[in-house]
Parts: sequence; C-alpha cells; structure tokens
Amino acid sequence: MAFLLLLLAVLFSLPVIAPSGRTLDYAANLTRFLSRFWPPDFSILAQILPSLWETFQMAVLATTAAALLSIPVAAAASKTTAPTPVVALMRFLLNAIRAIPGLVWALLTVAVLGANPGAGVLALSIYSIGYLGKFFSDAFESADPGVSEALRATGADRLQAFQYGIWPHARPIVWSHILWMLEYNIRSAAIIGYVGAGGIGSWLHTYQEFYQWNKFAAVLTCILAAVIILDFAGSRIRRELAPTAQ
Amino acid sequence: MTRNGTNQIHIEDLTVSRGGRPVLEKLNLSVRRGRFVSIEGHSGVGKSSLLSCLAGLLKPSSGAITYHCRKGGAHTPSQFQERLGLVFQHLRLTANATAEVNVLCGLLGTRPGWRTLFGFPSSDRSQANRLLAELGLECLASKPVSQLSGGERQRVAVARALISEPECLLADEPVSNLDPTTARSVLGLLKSECTRNGCTVFCALHDRALAEEFADFTLRLNAGHWELSGGGAC
Repeated sequence: MAFLLLLLAVLFSLPVIAPSGRTLDYAANLTRFLSRFWPPDFSILAQILPSLWETFQMAVLATTAAALLSIPVAAAASKTTAPTPVVALMRFLLNAIRAIPGLVWALLTVAVLGANPGAGVLALSIYSIGYLGKFFSDAFESADPGVSEALRATGADRLQAFQYGIWPHARPIVWSHILWMLEYNIRSAAIIGYVGAGGIGSWLHTYQEFYQWNKFAAVLTCILAAVIILDFAGSRIRRELAPTAQ
Repeated sequence: MTRNGTNQIHIEDLTVSRGGRPVLEKLNLSVRRGRFVSIEGHSGVGKSSLLSCLAGLLKPSSGAITYHCRKGGAHTPSQFQERLGLVFQHLRLTANATAEVNVLCGLLGTRPGWRTLFGFPSSDRSQANRLLAELGLECLASKPVSQLSGGERQRVAVARALISEPECLLADEPVSNLDPTTARSVLGLLKSECTRNGCTVFCALHDRALAEEFADFTLRLNAGHWELSGGGAC
C-alpha cells in the first residue's frame, strides 16, 4: 500500500520537471561549465585554510550549544516526560524552527548581529535546536516507558526516572545525532558565509562573484576533504559510543 | 528485626476488573508482618493485576488496601511506594545500564534527586555488590544488563527490589527463568528477608512445590474467586 502511494505521489509530481521547451544541449552545457572548475587552483590554500578552520569552529560551537539546549527542549517535547499540552506546544515550536531554512536564519542573525562568525554560530544553533530537539525527543520516546514507570513505582522522582530509566537508552542515539548534526553544520557553515555569516562560504561568494571557478573548485575540494575526514572520525566515534555500561 | 505480629497489610473487599470482567472479587485478607504469601493461578487469572493493585499501579474496581508501616500509621499503596520492593514479570530493567546501576536504582525512592544526580556513594555501591554476590552475580556487576541471560537479569531484578530493605516485597514470577537450584536460592533469600527483617512477601509462583516449600500460605485465584490454603496463619 505504501509503495502504491509513493508511486502515485511520484506520478503526480513528475510534471514539475517538464523541460523549458527550448532546445538545449544539456551535455555541452555541463561540459562547458565543469571545464571552468578544472583544474582547481590551490594557490589560494594559505588564504582559505584559516577560513576552513573558522568554519569548523563555528560548527563545533553551534552544535555544542544546540545539543545542550536541546536536551531540556526534547524532554519538554516528549510524551514520556512531559504533559500533552507542553508536548504539543514544543513540537509546534520545533516544527516552526525547522521550517525556516538555515540560510534564512543566517540572514536574520546577520541583520541583528552584523556580518561576522557570531551571527553564523547563532543561526546554526537555532536551526540545530529545531532538528536535535526533534531527534532527541524521538529517542526519549523510543525508550521502554515501563522502565521509568518501574522506577517511579518505588518512589523515584521524575528526574531520577529520566536519568536512570530513559537516558541510558537514549544516550547512544543522542550522541549519534550530535555527530550527524556536526557534519551537517560543517556543510551549512561552509554555505552561510554567502550571506556574511562567517566561515569559508564568504570565499565561495567572492570567487563566484568574480567568475574564478577554478578557485571556487579549490574551496569546494577543501570542504569535501573536511567532510570526508569528519565522516571517518564520526564513524570511529560512533563505534566507541555504541551501547555500553555506565 | 523480629516480627512483631501486627497486621501489615489489610485488604478489604478488593475487586479487580480487567477489560470489563472481574478477575478478582471481594478479596478480604489481613497479612501479618514477615509473612511469605504465594499467589497461584493459571496464566491470565489476575496474579499480576493483584500485585499491581498492591503496588498502587492499578486502581481496583472497589475495595481498599491499607499498609501499616513499622513507624505506625496507615497508608494507601501509592503512599507506601518508597517502602515497597517490586519485581516485575517483564523485569523492566535499564538495558544499557550495568547490573550494579540497575540494582542501585532500587534506592532512588529513598534518596533525593540531587544526591543521585552524579551517581551513588560508595556505601550504596558496596551494598549493591554485596547483594549481587549473594545472588551469585558478583562477576557480572559491571556488565550491561543487555548482555546478561534471562536468569541473570531476573536475579538483578530481585536484587533491585531488595536493596532498599523494603517492608513489603511484591514479586511477579521472580524465578520463572531460573533452574531449580538457583530458584531455591533466590526464594531462600526472600524468605530470609521475612524472618530476618520482617519483610512481607507477596510472590506469584507457578511451581506449587516451591510455594509449599517457602510460602507461609498460598492465595489461589481462579476465575474471579480466591481461596487461602497453607499451614501458617495469615
């Protein structure tokens, strides 16, 4: 049934990719465009590496702030830890945060704080709370409610029931989501520089404005390398954080 | 502490229903401190429901349960929760926590939240490890419960119920996954809680031989009806 619904949805959506009606040589266009990127011009490495490091710092700060704030937010958005009206309100707020793209959040924070990395950190933090709050609340709800009920049945208070009944189950899931968010934020931090919110994205904007595509490609390659390294490190860390004893 | 002979639990006209049908009708029972009561009956007869009512987790259709604690005063089951030890049929242990931490969770009701925020003191940990040793689990204290066998998890659940030295222990089939020797050892430990510490035990058991060996008397449930049997007085 789900497959049929998906098939129907795809069929109804296909018209959106109808061609323009103009006769275009797509292959030639792609070849011509990509040829401008090759070879990447790494002579700018000394300039962009500090910005890459700044991007990483922005992503780390934003992810850390969001992770810390998302835990109480998620507890308030989880049916197993909060009353229904509070859960409904918190989920609405988290949905609203996620509905606004990260780039738009960056525009807002740059308007408030000015064009600097601090604006980028704030934008990424807010955006990340929207995601981590949802992921964490799902993790809390996936815990067996019988465990925290059992602790409450012998007099444990709500905080104790959460700490010893829900958190041990949720902890590896929470860490996995934090790592995913860090990877996501590094990619986002690389882009929000386009709107002046700091990081390596400002170089992308500069080279795009001046049609210096081989330097643009060099910046993209550095971002790709950073993401690959972080993905590898993240896999190792996830293996270490697999469910273990306290 | 020796038994003082006073009634600890008074059950009056207790009727428990499930899905609209009564599983227990008008139970009247007074149990003295330090008694071991086994609850017998086929699956689905209402043993777990009765234990849930005694624990304050299920509201009976009618009737009342009153606990009299050692310090005096009458309490409803929900007021008596900190003095109860519970062994659930499905154990309800924290899978990603160690056996030691699971046992320590039995103390949470007797400790304020701020004291357990950063773990438990060494005196509590020693007590937990002592109990685990009594149940033959001393080598498994630092293992996550998810890595233990069914029988080992069951013994961890029993240790969790005992660590707070409860005045009343409610155990739902606490030895169902254990071999006969280990089952006797665990029930012997529960029995010694009765004689040594005056703990009153309600224990759902399938094995009639074990019930006859350890229980002071047996409460048999059958299609809403109940009967008491056994040599000892309630």
